[in-house]
Amino acid sequence: MAGRERLLIIGLDGAPYSLIRDLAERGIMPNMAGLIEEGVLTKMAPTIPDVSAVSWSTIITGVNPGEHGVYGFTNLLEGTYILTFHDFTKLKAPTFWQMDRSKRYVVINVPSTYPASEINGFIVTGFVSPDLKKAVYPPGYLSLLQEIGYRVDIDVARCRQSPMLLFSELSETLDTRLKLCLRLWSELDWDVTMFVITGTDRVGHFQWKAYLDEDDKWHEAFLEFFSHVDRVIGELVSRLGRNDGLIMLSDHGMELLEVEVNLNAYLVSEGYLRLHEGRRGYNAIAEGTLAFALEPSRIYLNREGKYPRGCVKRGEEEELLEELTNLFSKLEFEGRKVVKKVYRRDEIYHGQHLEDAPDLVLVPERGFSFTTRISKTEVFGRSDLTGKHNDEAFLYVRGEEAQEVVPENPSVEDVLRIMRTLQHH
Amino acid sequence: MSGKWSAHNAEKTCWNCPAAELKGNIDFRACGQSMQKLKLMAEESEILIRCRRRPELGYFEPTITFKECPEWELTQYGYLLRDMRVMILGIDGYLGWTLALKLGALGCQVSGVDNFLRRRAVAEKGSISVVPIASMKERLKAAKEVLGIDIKFRKIDILDRQALGAFMKEVKPEAIVHYGEIPSAPYSMVDADHAIKVQYNNVIGTLGLLFLMRDICPETPLIKLGTLGEYGAPLTGRPLFEGIFPADAILKWRGREWSLGGELTPRDPVSFYHVSKVQDTFNIYEACKYWWLRSYDIMQGVIYGVHTDEVAADPRLRTRLDVDEWFGTVVNRFVCQAILGMPLTVYGAGEQIRGFIALEDAMECMVRLISSPPEPGQYAVVNQVSGLYKVIELAEIVAEVAEEFGYPTEIYKLENPRVEADVHPYEVVSENLPLQFGFRPKVTPKTEITRMFELLTQPHIKERIKKVAHVIMPQTWWTGEKRKPGILEVVKPGKVSKGVYRPVLHTGLKPVIYAEARLKRKVGGRHEADS
Repeated sequence: MAGRERLLIIGLDGAPYSLIRDLAERGIMPNMAGLIEEGVLTKMAPTIPDVSAVSWSTIITGVNPGEHGVYGFTNLLEGTYILTFHDFTKLKAPTFWQMDRSKRYVVINVPSTYPASEINGFIVTGFVSPDLKKAVYPPGYLSLLQEIGYRVDIDVARCRQSPMLLFSELSETLDTRLKLCLRLWSELDWDVTMFVITGTDRVGHFQWKAYLDEDDKWHEAFLEFFSHVDRVIGELVSRLGRNDGLIMLSDHGMELLEVEVNLNAYLVSEGYLRLHEGRRGYNAIAEGTLAFALEPSRIYLNREGKYPRGCVKRGEEEELLEELTNLFSKLEFEGRKVVKKVYRRDEIYHGQHLEDAPDLVLVPERGFSFTTRISKTEVFGRSDLTGKHNDEAFLYVRGEEAQEVVPENPSVEDVLRIMRTLQHH
Repeated sequence: MSGKWSAHNAEKTCWNCPAAELKGNIDFRACGQSMQKLKLMAEESEILIRCRRRPELGYFEPTITFKECPEWELTQYGYLLRDMRVMILGIDGYLGWTLALKLGALGCQVSGVDNFLRRRAVAEKGSISVVPIASMKERLKAAKEVLGIDIKFRKIDILDRQALGAFMKEVKPEAIVHYGEIPSAPYSMVDADHAIKVQYNNVIGTLGLLFLMRDICPETPLIKLGTLGEYGAPLTGRPLFEGIFPADAILKWRGREWSLGGELTPRDPVSFYHVSKVQDTFNIYEACKYWWLRSYDIMQGVIYGVHTDEVAADPRLRTRLDVDEWFGTVVNRFVCQAILGMPLTVYGAGEQIRGFIALEDAMECMVRLISSPPEPGQYAVVNQVSGLYKVIELAEIVAEVAEEFGYPTEIYKLENPRVEADVHPYEVVSENLPLQFGFRPKVTPKTEITRMFELLTQPHIKERIKKVAHVIMPQTWWTGEKRKPGILEVVKPGKVSKGVYRPVLHTGLKPVIYAEARLKRKVGGRHEADS
């Protein structure tokens, strides 16, 4: 069978399989409903942890975090306790647009691709992108972005002030993203376009309760946003030719957030983490610390020789890991178990870039979300947010070949292979 | 050598450092970013910065301490940013030039602007700097030759925002010291034109500067010279806190109580010049609130003296010393009065109490403040004094030293041309500089006054002092009159009643000699403390 001529990948960050099914069936997302008839929609497993930096990095490289080296949005600078934020230069495996430079790409808003680097085509990077000037390649397109009022993301601090502001920001941000894509398509020939909507994740974090509760004041606004997303999908798909391929996916799912659990506060309370008073951030980690947590749920042993105040010796690791596994496994909140599973590094990561891999990764039970803010002392807390990530990502592939191409129980590591299979190159 | 130096700012971090470019906040729980500059966000989310000096670090959390960071080097005044780019507004002035040399000698890259208004205003009075000073061109040359310092200078009026902004963009300062104001109370009281000129230059100049800082260098701290006189001298005797009430300051009214903690303390300025400083305070306070600028507002006591190691290194490096009734501060004028054989003139009973600080101590304070910058959005105040003295007590010290140098003198109590109490309580809190910035005063009035006599009795300087004798005596009344005040009383030094009240200075340290002004009387060749 001949491969697809062009390939469009639409990402809906944080949109769970069950939500897509539900909204398609209820007529909130009619375009999606129509597309489901033409292909395969299935659940997909995200990375562990199920956070966008790791999941999208896996999607665009097709390899395990042990190969691409990204385990979260942040890392400690080598030999220090200084928290650095991931950027694209730290990705250690090539992306699909770097692997085959003969094709032309339009890449819009993929998280963790900042700063923008050379691409045959166009890229504007996604969360986290601190400086729009460095978020676009070729740089000459900056004026176009400014002309259409392009925004990388909603401003969370502004949108926290009111749901009305949140929904209007979400809508405007989505509009400018579509506008950009259509403008680029009118100017560039392309072989692969990857278009990611991150508002789906933001609205989930802020207003998941509104989705669940029909009587919630913002229930209709929530649904309307996904209708808007559906219209954007419709606009993009309507411009595809008969022989163009379509993949839609998310990087993780979303569910109700009930309780936030601060892993570092827990480690402090149990004596595994000691902090210098008056110091800021992770640099407050004091002598005698055995372990600490990085977002979202990574546990690192404070190894001697690896960190300036590291004290865990080689021979002590196994026992300490056992201890910590038990410590987290027994954590309860009002009689409810908090941690669903504690993974060891070797269980989930393989590859040649394990130097930044965490020793343990925790997966929470339903309703619980992990935080790691090191200055906070309360282990359990409530949030103004009502949505948290879960492992229920979705994958959609259009076309007759979808049944063959989509494996059973796919994971985000399979996406690149699926793309290649569709293109048959 | 460095092992002997303690560092008050070793644990400060990138959060205080002007090289840290704020790039917003990341809220991982909401997977979102924000560029809002909100204190709440700073507590709830991770701050994202980029270091202008170390771009290889990428984006990171501002937690590297000064001690850990290779860009900060240990000096006798604490850690100082290596080659720190400091811009001084008013660099030609009494304090500006002195500080420029001090910072340059410490390795800072010094730049500055001046429009030479001070030189012109002193000339307007018919006076000159009694210490001869070189032209700016010669000063710059001498700084290079003698001290190896390269200073970047532009002749700019701070009201010319375009020129000032262009210079700021060129230099990219990491601290801005604002000495560029007209510093004279009597000058501001001469007439409407002078009052308006002082307020316009000072207030509008500072306001324009704040907008420039917002747009060009929002992470650069503003080290702003205010004045202790902003507070006035409340007759209730309540303490003069450091600009902001502490949490345990309570307001009681009709059986109810409120904490005043965090509120700006009342201001009661004592001239139109002092009013301009109060206006500056409010403008800066607002700018820090709206734009996350950062500032130290320095409520400096009365400055006096001639000496730092740098200005003494060469005659061409000397800083100006004004003694006319507009620009001369009281101790400086007393010394010249004594040298001229004139009486030392105090106003009324002469028991006005003020905070005082010698030039060298003031410069140390400035370096300590510059080296320990405030946090984003922080407006902080320091009461910058070494000691509290009644004017008459300082007259006594000058008279004592004058006698040692062979210049016996008398003290005249004159009608007070100012509107102020000449007897009043005075209690000052000055704990920030000692406790947070490691400052300890080193220069007593007697030490500095002795240095002044040593310099000013040199023949060529004495000649200059004689030339300005006619402008030393006060003639500017706060009421608007122009006349010499009448003599109320003539007293011999050593026989002056200093009153019963003793001012109180809270430094947070153990009580030391500068907490009170204790004078020694010479009795039969020996010195005895007053009882």
